[in-house]
Amino acid sequence: MGHVERAARFVADPERTRWHDEALWHVRTRRDAAARLVPDWEDLREQAAAIKRHALGRLPELWQAFETNASRAGTIVHWARDAREHNEIVYRLLQERGIRRVVKSKSMLTEECGLNPHLGKRGIEIVDTDLGERIVQLRREAPSHIVMPAIHLRRREIGELFEREMGGPKGIDDPEALTALARRDLRARFLAAEAGLTGVNFAVAETGGFVVVTNEGNADLGTALPDLHIASVGLEKILPKQGDLAPFLRLLARSATGQAMTAYTSHFRGPRPPSPAAPPDRPGSDGRRDPELHIVIVDNGRSRLLGTPAFREALACIRCGACLNTCPVYRRSGGHSYEATIPGPIGSVLETARDSRTHAELPFACSLCGSCSEVCPVRIPLHRQLLAFRESISSDDPHRRLRRWGLDLLGRVMLRPAHYERLGRWGRAFARRLPGTWLEGLLGPWTRHRSLPTLPSRSFRELHRERVKARAAREDGR
Amino acid sequence: MNRARDDILARLDAARTPRVEPPRPPTAPPGMDDPPAFLRARLEEAGGRLQMAAARNWPDEIEWPLDRTAVRHLHSALPIVPSRGLGLDATTDRELDGLEICILRAEFAVAESGAVWQVPSSPRERVAALLAEHLIVVVDATEIVATLHHAYQRIDPARSAFGWFLCGPSKTADIEQSLVLGAHGPRTLDLIVTNA
Ligand code: SF4
Repeated sequence: MGHVERAARFVADPERTRWHDEALWHVRTRRDAAARLVPDWEDLREQAAAIKRHALGRLPELWQAFETNASRAGTIVHWARDAREHNEIVYRLLQERGIRRVVKSKSMLTEECGLNPHLGKRGIEIVDTDLGERIVQLRREAPSHIVMPAIHLRRREIGELFEREMGGPKGIDDPEALTALARRDLRARFLAAEAGLTGVNFAVAETGGFVVVTNEGNADLGTALPDLHIASVGLEKILPKQGDLAPFLRLLARSATGQAMTAYTSHFRGPRPPSPAAPPDRPGSDGRRDPELHIVIVDNGRSRLLGTPAFREALACIRCGACLNTCPVYRRSGGHSYEATIPGPIGSVLETARDSRTHAELPFACSLCGSCSEVCPVRIPLHRQLLAFRESISSDDPHRRLRRWGLDLLGRVMLRPAHYERLGRWGRAFARRLPGTWLEGLLGPWTRHRSLPTLPSRSFRELHRERVKARAAREDGR
Repeated sequence: MNRARDDILARLDAARTPRVEPPRPPTAPPGMDDPPAFLRARLEEAGGRLQMAAARNWPDEIEWPLDRTAVRHLHSALPIVPSRGLGLDATTDRELDGLEICILRAEFAVAESGAVWQVPSSPRERVAALLAEHLIVVVDATEIVATLHHAYQRIDPARSAFGWFLCGPSKTADIEQSLVLGAHGPRTLDLIVTNA
């Protein structure tokens, strides 16, 4: 099944499609309003893009500096070549400490690595704590958006889910009440968690620290209580200096949701000092272990992408989701239609770069309107990259010979006006005898909802000749 | 394990990315006419509330998120309001669950972002700020910077293992994009800007 078929499943519910489309467009307009309030917005985009270009040009030095500075602050640094190594490192850290209950805040990287099933199979209970992620986790689905994981669902569906999974009252569908229910359920899990996992929005070489942003505060609750914090970071997330955070943080939330800033922008640098030990007779006595902070640096195909000049720029992505919100195809086909960890324009670029065979269709799920490149805070030329993919994919198209032959034939006909006219006449006569829908599905999904206009009985040349003749006749008659 | 490290560094070297000069330091972002007004507007958009008060007796001047006299569990980082209940005698971090109000001092506010920079004085203070139902943050009126560029010039990363920008209460819009305050942490945030 391809993107078109999966999108067809999504649009089978027109009410949902319309809502999805409008909700995301609304987020896009909020982004515009927030950007307008920043007088140096375009400078910021240029600055952010330049910092990323610079950073991507010297990743080895930056990560080594990060490692040195992080270690100095007491953070333990791990390296993982691929998803499997990442998952094993995380599992080993948990297993060595006998940890069974883990809370996780949103991280597209752990999603990409398939961490949840890896830990789940080994008997570790892993709870996603971002509300949207929790919803899709309970539904055993993948997130459909990188910032709003449950944007494909309506409140009624979430109500039914919570009724089943959290013992919510029947018929509950008020967002306030649903959030309160989840809050109560998750608060208990935060209090019981033995380790907190997070992603990383930005790592800073100069300080050996990193920044995690959330609106819900879930990354903070998840790491403030347990003694073990494991952060997973992709190779592309490093910035040279602390001051570099400023342009990115001014851009990120505004691009993502139109907020000036996320509610929590947390800067970690080293494990926290131990809390005073509780008297041993108290229940839930903490302070048994000294707090630990681990960071796992993950490659998983990123170094290969870095070596491909055409797609290197995609590594600058800060996962704001703006390109998804603005994309006319994404808004109307839903995130799941991409069947990729990251959907939308940036997903189409990253996933196709990773595996152009499996995702050969994605570059075509694009109208080339260029809106994505226009909103991207780090100025990734997304639509141009998609176009480049189309070219490289089409050049090894199995129907290439057929296409060539067809174009050759067309060329020959066009060169001979008499043939051209005769063929046109036959074609028109023939086509008018076919049912109006003859084209439907004939040339693949593209023609499914398209039909040719009714062909006129005479060609332009014929009409013109007649007019000339008629005028001559009139003039003769005078 | 260090095989992985060396491999990754070698792969990155092999990618032969062109070296690009660091961008020239950003020109100072344009200033703003009225930073406190900007701060208030952005904070209110984020679901927070800004109140101006005198440093000497702000607790009596402000509007509290709860009836102040009825609050039983309060954690305060400022001597002007003494802690009580759980805020005083919780012996473990987790026991702070049930806290009604947490009061913190912020180092400075960032007008353009509607945020404050805060460094918890202890890990427990951070837990209190997350588990409390209501958060009150106090900042000096003289300590308002225009943008994050100015903010980072003031932040010394070596000072502490943790620090955060806070912008309004904990929130989510994950259910049909409708904004709900108090997703996991505090349901309200009052920023008290104090004048001498
Ligand atoms: S490609 Fe640009 S717009 Fe899209 S998510 Fe990444 S940073 Fe945002």
